[in-house]
Amino acid sequence: MIVLRAEDVWKRYDDTIVLRGVSLNLKKGETKVIMGPSGAGKTTFLKCLNLLVKPDKGRIWIDGEEITSPKADITRLRQKIGFVFQELNLFHHLTAIGNVMIGLTKVKGMSKSDALKKAKETLKRVHIEEELWRKYPAQLSGGQKQRVAIARALAMDPIVMLYDEPTSALDPGLSSEVLLVIKELSERGITSLIVTHELGFAYEVADEIVVMNRGRIIGGGSPEELRNAKNDEVRNLLNKWNGLKDGVLV
Amino acid sequence: MTYIYSLFQYIPFIAEGVLWTASLVLGGLGIGFIIGLPLAIAQSFGGKKLGKVLNAYVWFFRGTPLLVLLSLFYWAIFPSFGFKLDPLKTSILVLGMRSGAYQSQIFKDSIKSVDYGQILAAKAIGMTQRKLILYIVLPQALRISIPAWSNEYAVILKDSAICFALGVMEILTRVRYVSTATGLALIPYLFAGILFFVLTFSGTGIMDFIHKRTRIPGMVEGLR
Ligand SMILES: Nc1ncnc2c1ncn2[C@@H]1O[C@H](COP(=O)(O)OP(=O)(O)OP(=O)(O)O)[C@@H](O)[C@H]1O
Ligand SMILES: [Mg+2]
Repeated sequence: MIVLRAEDVWKRYDDTIVLRGVSLNLKKGETKVIMGPSGAGKTTFLKCLNLLVKPDKGRIWIDGEEITSPKADITRLRQKIGFVFQELNLFHHLTAIGNVMIGLTKVKGMSKSDALKKAKETLKRVHIEEELWRKYPAQLSGGQKQRVAIARALAMDPIVMLYDEPTSALDPGLSSEVLLVIKELSERGITSLIVTHELGFAYEVADEIVVMNRGRIIGGGSPEELRNAKNDEVRNLLNKWNGLKDGVLV
Repeated sequence: MTYIYSLFQYIPFIAEGVLWTASLVLGGLGIGFIIGLPLAIAQSFGGKKLGKVLNAYVWFFRGTPLLVLLSLFYWAIFPSFGFKLDPLKTSILVLGMRSGAYQSQIFKDSIKSVDYGQILAAKAIGMTQRKLILYIVLPQALRISIPAWSNEYAVILKDSAICFALGVMEILTRVRYVSTATGLALIPYLFAGILFFVLTFSGTGIMDFIHKRTRIPGMVEGLR
């Protein structure tokens, strides 16, 4: 069953065309990774999927409903997509648990006590322990912040989680705790679409890796298939990544 | 000696002006808040056209001297709309409308300083614009506004003295009466100065206290 479907998505900013007809399907339970050099349009594509950026052309369906339709109830459909951003953007004025609860109470209309219970469960799932629940974002490490951000998205019970380079804003060393959480969630059947520069992690977690360059999908396949890719452009990019320290393309 | 004695007689009379000054300041700040906050929200989240109209309001009240505004509204604008307002009410309204223009700029800057990433994150979890303004932007913007708002209090307090021009019985107006009646200047005006000083520092002191109490733990302001 396809839970997320993008068809021929185009986007331009002034005179640069950032997305040139990107199409992608995501099946229930599947984990896909998008890789590509800086400026390829990965962030823009993810933001198009929940209409944080409005595509110029193309159609997108979430759970069978078209979010790009003029009649779409965008705020309702957005709740079905969990989004974890490249930047660390927790709500500064709320505690860790407050960050997770606010969507439940103010968007889903849950009672405070139900939201609290759910927030606690979700924070445990991302390995944020009780002593951190009442801390404010400024009192958390980058890795902790990003895990709270995952919990904030996850608590809304989305049908798919999108991660946009969730570790790129973190100090080296803090990445692994975040990647571990993403991997655990993916293994437990959370449908995931992950943008990452960490090749090793991509090979480990992905059912399929999609390679993007200059606004197009230029290739893809299972990690196995990709390692033996015939396509020159894909091979060149992969070699470049492989040659880099820790497989991280900066 | 008799001069000094008669001066002491006038002290309660001058001190009563504090009530009038307080009405001007609190009324002006309150009306300014009621005007300024929605104005800032509309300027920050509303369309360009609306922004231009609202800017005209802001420029008019920021660009015109208070004395001119007071006279204009008291002698011309309010009467021509058929309102017969006394000097105190006119002054409170004018101070309020003017402070609204200044306060809108304070709130606009604070709203702008809430980083856009948080707004995107709020949208991503399905918040409507109204909800994200209410639950994400304003709680932070209002906190950030407190120091500038405290400054606005001090400014409006000083400006309130200009309302003597309409004969509002605030501190300065009373001091002028006393000075005329007793022929003394130094002590009455010094007393007025002390009153304004005390009002300024007690007011800003309260705001400092509120600012400290509402601080977000771990957050360093100005370095965000
Ligand atoms: N709001 C915007 N206005 C103008 N240009 C933009 C905007 N957002 C992105 N771009 C441009 O679009 C291109 C793609 O940006 P995007 O952020 O999608 O790339 P990316 O693949 O996510 O890169 P990175 O790996 O560095 O995050 C870039 O050239 C960028 O400068
Ligand atoms: Mg990006």
